[in-house]
Amino acid sequence: MSRSTTGIPELDEMLKGGFMTGDAVMLAGPAGTGKTTLALEYLVNGATNLNEPGVYLTFEQMPDQIYRDAASFGWDLKKLEEENKFRLICTSPSIMVEEGGAEALLDEPIKEIDARRIVVDSVSHLSMYVPEGDLRKEVFRLIRGFKMKRLTPILLWESPQIAGAQMAITDVGMSFLVDSIILLKFIEIESSMRRGLVIMKMRGSDHDKHLREYEITSKGFKVRSSFGAYEGLMTGTPRKSAPAENFATAFATAARKQR
Amino acid sequence: MIGGESLLQRLLSSDTKADLLTLFRGNPGLVDGIDGVARRIGRRPMSIKAEVDDLLDLGVLGKKQAGKTVVLYLQKERDAELQKALAAYLSTPGLVSL
Repeated sequence: MSRSTTGIPELDEMLKGGFMTGDAVMLAGPAGTGKTTLALEYLVNGATNLNEPGVYLTFEQMPDQIYRDAASFGWDLKKLEEENKFRLICTSPSIMVEEGGAEALLDEPIKEIDARRIVVDSVSHLSMYVPEGDLRKEVFRLIRGFKMKRLTPILLWESPQIAGAQMAITDVGMSFLVDSIILLKFIEIESSMRRGLVIMKMRGSDHDKHLREYEITSKGFKVRSSFGAYEGLMTGTPRKSAPAENFATAFATAARKQR
Repeated sequence: MIGGESLLQRLLSSDTKADLLTLFRGNPGLVDGIDGVARRIGRRPMSIKAEVDDLLDLGVLGKKQAGKTVVLYLQKERDAELQKALAAYLSTPGLVSL
């Protein structure tokens, strides 16, 4: 089975080689966790190193801001556009859900650069323009359209910070439509805000199940090791896990005091 | 062929037109209906219609049907031509610069 590598070595390792080519991926997380950065890095690495041109479809964030933010990581999106390896399209979500709207906007740029990857930023914005109950149907249609064009789509979803007992990524059953889900989240440990990434789902493939720390560096995403010394991170109440020998020592001390 | 001076006058005849040109030149991948375009420059669709029509007439903007919506986009080649013509006009010897 061929893989669509992200070009981020530690993430590809977690994904056992990359996303499965053609699989729909949901990248979910609260604002500020780096969804756009990760998605852009996936497209830039595909366009520059893997001969897999890509399209970035944005609804709210303006292209000039995306060009500027990408430049801060050393990614020259305008140059990639000139080289026919990348296209940045900005439109209103309402047009995407009209009959023939998505095709009119996307078919030409996809053909022009023979795109293999596409990012939709974001499905949460799309949801504001779709009648309640129709979002799943519309997203299914979009995903099928991308798959028919042999694209590997990444759909961004701005989710609230998931904590406590609530573990659903979306409240509209979107998780069933996609093949893989990567969740990005903020984690407060000892009064400092850190970021964690976990692969929640990957259909038909093994994957790393650990919650791993990541940083957004001046060159893009850098995935670090898991939060080995902590547990309860997903529930929002992290605590240091006590090694078994600590319990034994504490028990022995308490027993001595009793005597 | 429009002369440099009248071209300059047409392109910069209103704040709205200047905003539209700034929007599309800064965001060449923008493909949106008049509602979306107006929203992105903080105006109402009806207040930009005349200026959009003039830019369509000049060929700076193009339009096509996307679903039920007519979407507007920057005609990059035509825009580059007009910018070149303007630059040539502005470098004319004897032109008084303000």
